[in-house]
Amino acid sequence: MADLAIRDPHVSPVLVEGNPSLHEVTTDVAQIVEGINRKVPKEWYMALALTGGLTMILFAMLGYLVFTGIGVWGNNQPVGWAWDITNFVFWIGIGHAGTLISAILFLFRQKWRTSINRFAEAMTLFAVACALIYPLFHTGRPWRAAYWLLPLPNTHLSVWPNFRSPLVWDVFAVSTYATVSALFWYVGLIPDLATMRDRAKGLAQKIYGALSLGWRGSARHWRNYEMAYLILAGVSTPLVLSVHSVVSFDFATSVLPGWHTTIFPPYFVAGAIFSGFAMVVTLMVIARWAFQLQHLVTLKHLENMNKIMLATGTIVGYAYATEFFIAWYSGNPYERFTFINRAFGPYSWAYWTMISCNVISPQFFWFKKLRTSIPFMFILSIFVNIGMWFERFVIIATSLHRDFLPSSWGYFVPTYVDMLTFLGTFGLFLTLFLFFVRFLPMIAVSEVKGMMANEAMHSAVHGTAHGPDIHAPAPVSEPVSGGLHK
Amino acid sequence: MIQITKKLTGKKYWRSLDQVYQAPEFQDWLNREFPGEAAEMHDEPSRRNILKLMGASFALGGLTACRRPVEHILPFSKGVENFIHGKPLYYNTVMSLGGTAVGLTAETNEGRPTKIEGNPSHGWSLGGTRGYHQASVLSLYDPNRAGVVLNEGKNSDWNAFAGHIQNLQGSFGNGAGLRFLSEPLNSPSFAAVKKHALTRFPAAKWIEYSAIQTNATAQPVIPRIAFDKAAVVVALDSDFLGLDDTSVLAVKEFVRGRKITNEDSPVMNRLYTIEPQFTVTGAAADHRYRIKSSEVGAYASALLSAIQSQSNPLKVVGQGSADKAIAAIAKDLLANRGKSVVVTGPRQPAAVHQIVHQLNQALGNVGPVVTYLKTASEQTRPQIDAFKELAGEMANGQVNTLVIMAWNPAFTAPADLEFEASLKKVANTIYLAQDVDETAAASKWVIPAAHFLESWGDATAPDGTASIQQPTIQPIHDGKSPAELVAAITGYKDQKAYDIVRNYWLPTLSGGEAAWKKALHDGILPAAANTGTTTPTFHTSVASPPAASGFEVLFVPSWSVFDGRFVNNAWLQEAPDPITKLTWDNAALLSPATAKKLGVGLGDVISIERNGRKVEGPVMVQPGQADDTIVIPVGYGRTKVGHVGEGTGFNAYKIRTSDSFGFGTGFNVTKTGRTYPLARTQEFDYQEEPKLIGFQSDVSRPIVREATIEEFKKEPNFANEMVEHPPLRSLYGDYDYSRGQQWAMAIDLNACIGCNACMIACVAENNIGVVGKEQVARGREMHWIRLDRYYTGSVEEPQAVTAPITCMQCETAPCENVCPVAATVHSPEGLNDMVYNRCVGTRYCSNNCPYKVRRFNFLNWHLNEAEVTKMVYNPEVTVRMRGVMEKCTYCVQRIQNAKIQARTENRRWLKDGEVTPACAQACPAECITFGNVNDLESRIAKLKQSPRNYAMLAELNTKPRTTYLAKLRNPNPELQPANAVEEHRG
Repeated sequence: MADLAIRDPHVSPVLVEGNPSLHEVTTDVAQIVEGINRKVPKEWYMALALTGGLTMILFAMLGYLVFTGIGVWGNNQPVGWAWDITNFVFWIGIGHAGTLISAILFLFRQKWRTSINRFAEAMTLFAVACALIYPLFHTGRPWRAAYWLLPLPNTHLSVWPNFRSPLVWDVFAVSTYATVSALFWYVGLIPDLATMRDRAKGLAQKIYGALSLGWRGSARHWRNYEMAYLILAGVSTPLVLSVHSVVSFDFATSVLPGWHTTIFPPYFVAGAIFSGFAMVVTLMVIARWAFQLQHLVTLKHLENMNKIMLATGTIVGYAYATEFFIAWYSGNPYERFTFINRAFGPYSWAYWTMISCNVISPQFFWFKKLRTSIPFMFILSIFVNIGMWFERFVIIATSLHRDFLPSSWGYFVPTYVDMLTFLGTFGLFLTLFLFFVRFLPMIAVSEVKGMMANEAMHSAVHGTAHGPDIHAPAPVSEPVSGGLHK
Repeated sequence: MIQITKKLTGKKYWRSLDQVYQAPEFQDWLNREFPGEAAEMHDEPSRRNILKLMGASFALGGLTACRRPVEHILPFSKGVENFIHGKPLYYNTVMSLGGTAVGLTAETNEGRPTKIEGNPSHGWSLGGTRGYHQASVLSLYDPNRAGVVLNEGKNSDWNAFAGHIQNLQGSFGNGAGLRFLSEPLNSPSFAAVKKHALTRFPAAKWIEYSAIQTNATAQPVIPRIAFDKAAVVVALDSDFLGLDDTSVLAVKEFVRGRKITNEDSPVMNRLYTIEPQFTVTGAAADHRYRIKSSEVGAYASALLSAIQSQSNPLKVVGQGSADKAIAAIAKDLLANRGKSVVVTGPRQPAAVHQIVHQLNQALGNVGPVVTYLKTASEQTRPQIDAFKELAGEMANGQVNTLVIMAWNPAFTAPADLEFEASLKKVANTIYLAQDVDETAAASKWVIPAAHFLESWGDATAPDGTASIQQPTIQPIHDGKSPAELVAAITGYKDQKAYDIVRNYWLPTLSGGEAAWKKALHDGILPAAANTGTTTPTFHTSVASPPAASGFEVLFVPSWSVFDGRFVNNAWLQEAPDPITKLTWDNAALLSPATAKKLGVGLGDVISIERNGRKVEGPVMVQPGQADDTIVIPVGYGRTKVGHVGEGTGFNAYKIRTSDSFGFGTGFNVTKTGRTYPLARTQEFDYQEEPKLIGFQSDVSRPIVREATIEEFKKEPNFANEMVEHPPLRSLYGDYDYSRGQQWAMAIDLNACIGCNACMIACVAENNIGVVGKEQVARGREMHWIRLDRYYTGSVEEPQAVTAPITCMQCETAPCENVCPVAATVHSPEGLNDMVYNRCVGTRYCSNNCPYKVRRFNFLNWHLNEAEVTKMVYNPEVTVRMRGVMEKCTYCVQRIQNAKIQARTENRRWLKDGEVTPACAQACPAECITFGNVNDLESRIAKLKQSPRNYAMLAELNTKPRTTYLAKLRNPNPELQPANAVEEHRG
């Protein structure tokens, strides 16, 4: 059991259990990939059939949408955006956890991030891939939107996108986010890809070899790697805050009551981190059970993530309260009505789902027993994601359906195309995950070992008995590299 | 190993064998620019050679002008006279509906009519139109129109029909078995044909019938009421602003008394409506009371006694309810002798009309305000009596040949007369059919009717002004006009419509051919003035519905389909009823108390039954309706109709009997337990926010701002003071709009009655797509201008206001900032321009529009459109594809045309009134004023100075170019109405 009582701040708690050697850490993770590929278990195929089927449904629904029109969804006047933008913000939000773990926790030197950062960053990339479907396909003419939203030179001299529009800022923010996240993830992968290369044979070796860019584990390589990693972490960090702030500007810069409020950027960012961590917990709980990684992704890691969920969930709850207060305090009748309508109008069922899932449920994590209970945190993390989806839906649909002129008030009901498209994006997400798990080491082995070695050095220097004794069986002086151990 | 890939350039062809053999001479030759010897000068340059060269180049220099021999081709320049390709041509014509003629101007493009406007010279149009007239052009292109002569259901042709008529001639005799059934006549040339027919066949009979009775008084007179001469109007079950008058004259005249011309001392007329249903007239009223249809007679009598007993001082007792208001109304009428009027509508029996006439006489209104004009019709008996007699004769087999020119009598006839069954007993039924409807299915011969836009005819307005109806397009389906049909059957001297009309009028015109041309050009003919009478007679022999317990059912025309003839007209079906905002269906309207008593709500299907006849239909709750009364618009529920009108509504004619033509008593209602979906364009009817929870404060949004005229006098600026907001400043500097022409619009809420003419005019002008019932229910209707109707006051006794909402063309438009591809931009003249081909359809602009005036093409609304329907499109306006946003453009195509025209006349500044958007042009109440706000002499500039002028949602700093003139009501100070206007403060 991990010891969480910290007396000496120089001594970190046990983050790798069972006292494995560095080599054992490598094999634990690499053998997952190699084991699957040696003889692909039927469970993987079954899972792929399910998620792949959902992905096919996604493509079918998108094809139907493009050929017939936005009318196959439930969007109408006044609710011009409904599930499409809700899902977009939902998926982008989920991605933020990965970047926070990778970048911000790195800069804060939170060592516990090493077991989860690759997994979380992969989740970010796949979430962004799912998210990007929506800005393109929610347009009435996606075959035009594909390039008119980008500042490409054209024959019409000065027909550029309208840079005043938050949707254009979105284009830049999200594409930057996707690019930087991909780069960051890839750079971090290089030493581990080299490990895989060194252990692999045949075609696998060639592919891993190409991808690992000739990594030899030399000191120079490591120095360049650390520098690149640091820079990318530095670049990614502001993205955690800026990307979702820009997404929130889609709403905050409009005139609609319920949207037009300055609290949105911090509120959205907190919400994004909240939902992202919940998704990481959900997936991690499954993965560590499926692949026997409990010693690398310990209860401590999960507990830390739950603590972040508690913190950000509280911020989100505080933001709700602030919104309500300001709506009343402002005296603006439109604003007041919007919030009363949210809580007591036709969409009150969505509103109260949101409140119970987002405000009430994370508070359970004050109790250590609950935040260290695997079944409880698994269920709670799903509730949090449901709640966060409803938060975006409540923001979008309730502000749109009853705005300034009562004559244009309406109601939105989703169609089966809305629902299947959303379900299909989960299929895409999970399909990408299945491939990730099969072909790439899901834990950043080099970073974990680096952290372990660091621990060992600390223990040796400070002479305490805390921490695992990682010296047995390999000697301390053995170079800690990701490449040369077989 | 590095391999240099061969570049593929195709086969290499050699020029000559020498090339192949690489002869050195050939190499030389190959490498020269001119293989001949022109590149060389063999002699050394001497003076002589130089001069030779100079001379040659000088002489040959002119050869640069050499070119191919010129061949002239000749364009086909034999064009159509007066036709400039791309410019529309306008033709004056006239349309009759419900016996009333309205002069129209049809705009034709490339030889086909695409838009209807009112004819400003015609007394019953004065430039305005109703929705029916605007939509008539779509009916012309209806793919389901009757197109082929049918003989017992099988395709035939006119020649076969003519042959059949030949055979019939012998059997006619003196016409004992010959009957003609037509719409009420107001066509002099047709009257001449009729006269000839009845002269030739003296025993034949001619019956006039229309499903919507427009005249319950006496034939052949109809009342002509000059509403602009009345300071007080009392409407007893009369929708004179709405469907009880299909022309626009009543609206025009009444609104003259509503508009404030002098704001320092404003004067308005006063309207009391006492009615069972909530009509647009009731919405315009200063005082509205609801009573049952059967009680109107008693009310009129009570009012009459109150007027006649003026010797007793009138005391105003109590407040609000109809009875207690009688004294106040009587007092008001007496104070306005000679300049007031009491009117009643066609649904009331003749006895009530008689009482109303007596009222007007007692008040001295007959003469100055009310006169009775002779109609062109010669039917002296009540219409229903004549029709009953015909039905009886048909059932008895006394009718041999029946020529039907009335619209669909088998569908609209009173149910007790069993007309459709009787039709089968007539040996020869000949029906002039607009479409293959219920009557056509029961008729032997079906002749396609010509639409008024494609045939010759004429019509007289009630005052005698005649108009020639001239065709604007070749008949699309070889249809015939009614005159042509009768002429063919009875052997009239002229057989073609052109001859019939022309040969009737030409002898009467003193100017001959020139006068005929002038008549066609102007759209009106000076004709014998119609003298009025002040002593009409009333057909009180026609019984009123007996008093009975149970429910009363009121049969009213429909704003969309009138009596059912427009069921296949998509523009009309999609235009919402002005009060209920229901589209594509009719409903059984119940008052809130009655609905509660029955335990039904919106969409619950009820069964309405009397004497074994029943019909089922969905309920709609109508605030302000009389209790225990069911109001049903007629004309729906047709079984034989095209694909547009199929499956819309339920058939109220099934329970309408000859003794309940306007309304009936003694009906029973039962719930069926089923529901039926109803599609409305507006689902929320109040400016007051709904009370969702107890601690909510009462907030009424000041969108349509209203006050009484007394309040206005005390506080002229009340409209702008209804909303407090901080100073409106923008982070960006304001654009300078003080130069150039700046377009703006002002809408006078005092004048708007909510009649939908502007909506349908806009649809016609701008090629707006029709989406259908399911999509309207989803909230995706495409109207660029909509009429928002809000109720104020209590649910039982509400008042209503209507505001037309278009794109406000905001100077700081919220939509422009947020479009990612800059598809909506601002023009230097103040218009918000929507660029369709740039729009990618993110819908952010619509989300950000606080007025929600932007419309998105969610689906392809023009999928599988019939080729003939595409002819209705205005070629000056793009037809938008799916995925693109659209909205009102202030009819920018008209503005551009006017600017081009002005430019050709060497001026840039447009005159006031030179360009009018479609909505402003169609409006019968002239409530929309458009113009250049920088032209200080223009009407719009003056209206913008009015204290009543306010901008909707001004506190958002959108700076809309379309502003509103606040509504004023003129209540009787002695009557504290139950529907008092609430004061909005803050």
